Amino acid sequence: MIKQSPVHFHRMKDMPSTHLLGTGTPMCAGCGGLETLHTMYDILGRKTVFVNAAGCMTLLSVYPFTPFHGGWLYTSMASAPAGAQGVRDAVDILLQKQKLPAEEDVEVVVVTGDGAAYGMGMSATSGAMDRKLDFIYLCYDNEGYGNTGQQYSAATPHAALTSTSKGSHGYPGYKKDLFSIWAAHNPAYVATVIAAEPLDLAKKIEKLQTMTGPRMLISLAPCPTGWDYEPELSVEIGRLAVQTGVWPLKEYVEGEVRHTKVPKQRKPVDDYLKLQGRFKHLFEPHCDEQAIAEIQARVDSYWDKNAAK
Amino acid sequence: MTRKLLTGNSAAAWGARLACVDYIPAFPITPQTEIIEDLAGWIDRGEMDARLVTLESEHSMITAAGSAASSGVRAFTATSSQGLLYAMEMIYAVAGWRTPFVMVNVSRGLASPITLESDHNDIMAARDSGFLQIHCATCQEIADGILLAYRLAEHPQVRIPAIVNFDGFYLSFTREPVDLARAAKARAFVGEYDPENLQFRGNSPLSQAMAVLGGGPYSYFRYEAHLAVQQALSVYDEIADEFEDIFGRRYDMIDCYHMDDAEYVFVMLGSFSTKAREAVDSLRAAGWKAGLLRPRLFRPLPQQRIRQLLRGRRAVGVIDQNISMGMGGVLHSEFATALYGLEDAPLLGSYIGGLGGRDISQQEFFAIADELKHAYENGESAPPRLLYTRNELTEMRKLQAIAQAEHAEIHRS
Amino acid sequence: MFRIRFHGRGGQGMKTASRILGTAFFKTGYEVQDAPRYGAERRGAPIFAYVRADKSAINERGIISHPDLVVIADDTLVGMPAAGVTQGIDAHTLLLINSHDSASTWQQRLNTEANVLTLSAGEDVADRATLPFISSRCAAAAAALTGVITREIFIEALCEELDHLRQDIIDQNRDIALSEFDDMTVNAGLAKQGGLATASDYVKPDWIALPFESAQISNLAIHAGVTSVKVRTGLWRTMRPVINYPNCSGCAWICSTYCPDGAIKVRTDGYPEIDYEHCKGCLVCVAQCPPHAIESIPEHIARDQEVGETT
Repeated sequence: MIKQSPVHFHRMKDMPSTHLLGTGTPMCAGCGGLETLHTMYDILGRKTVFVNAAGCMTLLSVYPFTPFHGGWLYTSMASAPAGAQGVRDAVDILLQKQKLPAEEDVEVVVVTGDGAAYGMGMSATSGAMDRKLDFIYLCYDNEGYGNTGQQYSAATPHAALTSTSKGSHGYPGYKKDLFSIWAAHNPAYVATVIAAEPLDLAKKIEKLQTMTGPRMLISLAPCPTGWDYEPELSVEIGRLAVQTGVWPLKEYVEGEVRHTKVPKQRKPVDDYLKLQGRFKHLFEPHCDEQAIAEIQARVDSYWDKNAAK
Repeated sequence: MTRKLLTGNSAAAWGARLACVDYIPAFPITPQTEIIEDLAGWIDRGEMDARLVTLESEHSMITAAGSAASSGVRAFTATSSQGLLYAMEMIYAVAGWRTPFVMVNVSRGLASPITLESDHNDIMAARDSGFLQIHCATCQEIADGILLAYRLAEHPQVRIPAIVNFDGFYLSFTREPVDLARAAKARAFVGEYDPENLQFRGNSPLSQAMAVLGGGPYSYFRYEAHLAVQQALSVYDEIADEFEDIFGRRYDMIDCYHMDDAEYVFVMLGSFSTKAREAVDSLRAAGWKAGLLRPRLFRPLPQQRIRQLLRGRRAVGVIDQNISMGMGGVLHSEFATALYGLEDAPLLGSYIGGLGGRDISQQEFFAIADELKHAYENGESAPPRLLYTRNELTEMRKLQAIAQAEHAEIHRS
Repeated sequence: MFRIRFHGRGGQGMKTASRILGTAFFKTGYEVQDAPRYGAERRGAPIFAYVRADKSAINERGIISHPDLVVIADDTLVGMPAAGVTQGIDAHTLLLINSHDSASTWQQRLNTEANVLTLSAGEDVADRATLPFISSRCAAAAAALTGVITREIFIEALCEELDHLRQDIIDQNRDIALSEFDDMTVNAGLAKQGGLATASDYVKPDWIALPFESAQISNLAIHAGVTSVKVRTGLWRTMRPVINYPNCSGCAWICSTYCPDGAIKVRTDGYPEIDYEHCKGCLVCVAQCPPHAIESIPEHIARDQEVGETT
């Protein structure tokens, strides 16, 4: 894919004012993942082929409806990066053999949920990074198997209630550090993003467009349905995830991790947790101070270790 | 044409090379691995203009083959046994994408127990996937079968992927003389890959392989895939004729040996059928009217032709190198279905043999012929039989004695 | 056999309604089937659930095509073809609509031979997705209309199905459901059992031999861009964001960027415009607008106003 030069997103005014992604998709009202995808698509443009793994966004295209101007290919839960490999390789072969004019080139983008990215699809993702596949990977991370009713996944945060962790303490495990796992492969780019910070998101997409190789994005995707809150709070909760330090915005380039938005005065995690039904048991009927303190301590410890970066 | 000694695996690699494939997603598994090694070697030495990528699993490999074929290149891949099963989700899925490519499966028995040796349970698991299936009995058929498979799979009336199947060890590692087609002739025969309207391009919309809502659309797409596989029956002869004109070798969808006057018929798939061929010769020398019927094309199954060929025969012994637990031989079931209700249908006998590479001796073929004759005279088929001798059980007992030594001691004490 | 369909929106508890009624029938001595129509359930999107009950074993399965009783939790669904509320209704069917409008108004509006009743719409709420106790009320009304389920058994069933909730919430549901049950008792028996299909006189299925079509036509692919706009997800909306243009600062990119569905475009004059055909009513724009220039109003009221303006 021919690489573009940056346009520079500085202010909200620089964000695209028309949107490429078609309306009328069956994503839930207030979907934080869809918010990321439509911003990303606006910047990447029409010549994009999305390769999808089983998850909520599989329903973006249900025959005969599609919200895309360009390509969309559903593969399976485990093998979307391999689908991207086939498309990328085929287009490269055709370009090389001059059977395809350069203007027909495409950017190949894998889109999966956290269920695929953190679990079943990890082997295929690792393989694609090993092979230095020139592709973009967007994981919309709503911290559970959302399309089947929010069972816990390897992306579920500690203490969250899910439909398979309904006990009084919620999910006993801890969210897997996918960013570090991906970064350990030394791909061209890894970043965390969130739609509630559109400028940070836009800058990162713009930046990765100038690069070749595996370019990996994890977008925290606030999920009214799975996290149990009113849809209008999606952006607010996303912003709080950043302001409390729960979701650090960062990027990995050439062996270095850099934080792109460091909250000056981190808000207490309570601010983020208490808006969500999945953490309601930490506040009602009694405040579980110990559990909240543990969550706060983990966030603090992260930032203590990463303060300089 | 050049005649040389090639293993089945080499013949398969040559088939892919002669078919001018552009793209080979690969993953190693015994006994298939040499195919991708040969192809990788040619590509590395610049003798073949293609790209080979080793994926991290067969599941990914089939995904990449399907998505590449959907993007406009001719794809080839190969697997075997557990690999085919690991890929099975995508085998079914990519058939529904209606993007043609060819995959070789080198048949090997399935776990459990683990074995490296050959039988057909792996390929039978792909039976209902939508892939076309061509089964080969010789190394020559492998090289030629791949060329035929591309033509069949890419035919505008068909457009569905194809599997070329052959037996591990018995063909994969066995050298036989093979006439290799000249590259130019092969290139002319297969032609350019035309992805028709399925290709991902910067300036045209294409969404593919999505969900449908409701049983009506689902039934439409599934049944159309079935009808497309059926279409392969009507275009096969035309392609086989053309192949014969160019290369001088004839590949009917059903290979018949001494079927003109045969009263007793063996039915088999794959390389063990040459053993049956030899048995037919011996039986004929002893005064029998014996014959062999071997489907090359197993999906679609040429049911009408099977009915025509088998009506009026006395008895047919179907020898399955597979077993459907709780039912028996798959080929036997399929032939019973094809012949059901046919006036003057032959009696059908079911034999399970050659599991996990177990040999089938000439004497066993003769004994099967005897049982078929007996069945005909009594007007009733014998019950299904596993080809298994007393000596084999004795040997098994020795293994069990070792495996269960401690168990036995516990019982003694 | 009783064949009863509950229609509502994702979030209104139609599955719960069907389960309460199913359990009540079962406790009364009926064989029962109850099921939600399983699929991509989205808050605000039309969904339905159904119940079959019979004194003998039920062989019929799947979606009810000819219902005896259709309960509609939200009257804004009635005019929505995608909701399928009126599918298969005829003179035999009883429609029960939760609405402020009268039964005769609905009868006229729908121009139907079906018998229509309304659920005495309780307190009005702005957001129809949050109609209070609607699942318990629908189940209670349906139970009373069958005329075969007693008050006591109904309450037993309701408490059993809601036992995962807090006691005070169960109590509230019980009280409101009981009053609904009592109100509807005057109509007991209006929901009548339907019969079985007869083999002696039936309409033959119009079978065809599916023709073979080449992959150019029959492959599972869409050769067109952005066809999703034909899906009117605006029908999911229970609350409508309305831009108060005098207050709008024309920053434009905030609401348009945050709208998950991309349903807010920026006009050439620099002001935003909401695409109501597709806006799902998440109200993120209302929450994020810096000068608070977007307000939310109940969708049913907004629609009534639209009708008023055009007539």
